[in-house]
Amino acid sequence: MAKVKILGKEFSHQNELKFADAIKAGFPSPAEDYRHDGLDFNRDLIRHPEATFYGRVDGDSMVEAGISDGDLAVIDRAVEATHGDVIVAYLNEEFTIKFLDLSHQKEGYIELKPANPKYQPIRISADDDFEVWGVVVWTIKPWKR
Amino acid sequence: MYGIIDCDNCYVSCERVFRPDLKHKPVVVLSNNDGCIVARSNEAKKMGIRAGMPYYQLQEKFPGNQITVFSSNYELYGELTARVVSLIRQEAPNYFRYSIDECFVNLKKMESTDLKQWGERMHQKVLRYVGMPISIGIAPNKTLAKVASHFAKKYPGYKHCCFIDNEEKRIKALKLFPVEDVWGIGRRYAAKLKAMDIKTAWDFASQRPEWVRYNFHNVVIFRTWRELNGEDCVPEEEIAKKKSICTSRSFNGMVTELADLKTHISNYAARCAEKLRKEGSVASSVSVFVRTNPFREDLPQYENFMEIPLYTATNSTITIVKACVAALEKIYRPGYYYKKAGVIVMQTTSEDAIQTTLFDINAEQFDKLKKLDRVLDKINKVNGSETVVLGSQQYTPKTGKGKADVFANAIKHEFRSPNPTTRWRDIIRLK
Repeated sequence: MAKVKILGKEFSHQNELKFADAIKAGFPSPAEDYRHDGLDFNRDLIRHPEATFYGRVDGDSMVEAGISDGDLAVIDRAVEATHGDVIVAYLNEEFTIKFLDLSHQKEGYIELKPANPKYQPIRISADDDFEVWGVVVWTIKPWKR
Repeated sequence: MYGIIDCDNCYVSCERVFRPDLKHKPVVVLSNNDGCIVARSNEAKKMGIRAGMPYYQLQEKFPGNQITVFSSNYELYGELTARVVSLIRQEAPNYFRYSIDECFVNLKKMESTDLKQWGERMHQKVLRYVGMPISIGIAPNKTLAKVASHFAKKYPGYKHCCFIDNEEKRIKALKLFPVEDVWGIGRRYAAKLKAMDIKTAWDFASQRPEWVRYNFHNVVIFRTWRELNGEDCVPEEEIAKKKSICTSRSFNGMVTELADLKTHISNYAARCAEKLRKEGSVASSVSVFVRTNPFREDLPQYENFMEIPLYTATNSTITIVKACVAALEKIYRPGYYYKKAGVIVMQTTSEDAIQTTLFDINAEQFDKLKKLDRVLDKINKVNGSETVVLGSQQYTPKTGKGKADVFANAIKHEFRSPNPTTRWRDIIRLK
């Protein structure tokens, strides 16, 4: 069975400690040293806010990688795309989400690989009008609709 | 050293972020109401499409050309340019946002770094992060930085960053630079200079100071002359002050409803328009901001700001109120207790200068608005302020359809792009 670790939310920054620094009488609160802001997805998971965009997955081409129709993708344009990354590319006037395969770079082409046997890898050579638009850093999958 | 950083063909570049297929293709963006062309891609400029050309002439004058047309989408431009400004702030904390697509940066504390290289890297970073091409001009003062920025845009060899850091470069640049394009020289003075056979910035800068004082009894022109000669004399506070009029209030209680905010904003906007008319100046953009009470930490906090350029600079109450209400609707979010709101009208220039840029409203309507404003000012002067006001300045019942709603829905935007950064329903689809 999979183990689940619960990450507790820290609430110790709330009002009761607000004036702790100013009040000199009595003992300082023992919790004071542990003051910490709560966990925050925007702050902790988004490394480059200015470069972060969102996309909605449309179709099943990545379904065997656990990315299905309707999932939300968090795209970071600041990180460099490397071999094996899930990327968003702009191809034939639409955005596509695929694995980036750089293993054939020496032979003069790269591949965008789907994660579904129904689809063929897309081969891209130097003269194709192609750009990696961003790198997918997270996907968010709704379990309860 | 100062830098001026601006987005290349800003609105077009914003549209291209989510339409990479339009790279290297002619693209234009239309003004509010789809009246005329306000932004052009380099390809569109090369075809001879002029800024200000009425949209309906595009088909007549350029038949058979594939030109992609967008209505203006200020929600998108505002969000993407905010990202650019945020990146600039990280690299150069001493910055001043001058307009929707321009930022001055004070680089005095960074003079030990290779600023040319810094600028080139800045361009690459913003392009990669946001997808926005920017150009950077760096020089000992703001006027020369503006000159440098033109060169950074024009010649690809500069890699988007031009640094005027010695006399030789300064003189060379000024000799190639038309005097009418110099920052701070208005149309009127440009015409006068032309008549005196002063064609380039160098022709002007190389005149003796007595000549400048004698021919132009104007401190601004003299200061421009000094800046072209390398002195640093335009203070930051002044460009901020001269360029804007602000009307804002903290509310007595707190305001939650859009209808109520609209009433407040309409009143601030009307007051700004009145001030403009009193000073004989016009605004070429309006901004609206709202914020909650930052001291009420128990309440959710929100603040936002939006600028809407007015293509034809104006001081008409109706036009300014309309634009402000549209901006408010974009930034209003339900569920917050608003404490303060305000209107800032920007880039005020002299009223005399606007006749020549009268493209997207017809002269007849312009005169009508002017007459209406004159009557409005007169009645309010005689009978007390706010005797006659626009419908939207009055309280609109929460349930009713007030004038404010009618205004907001009357704006035409046939070719508007989606808002992938501000609306969940518009985020990009990934096949």
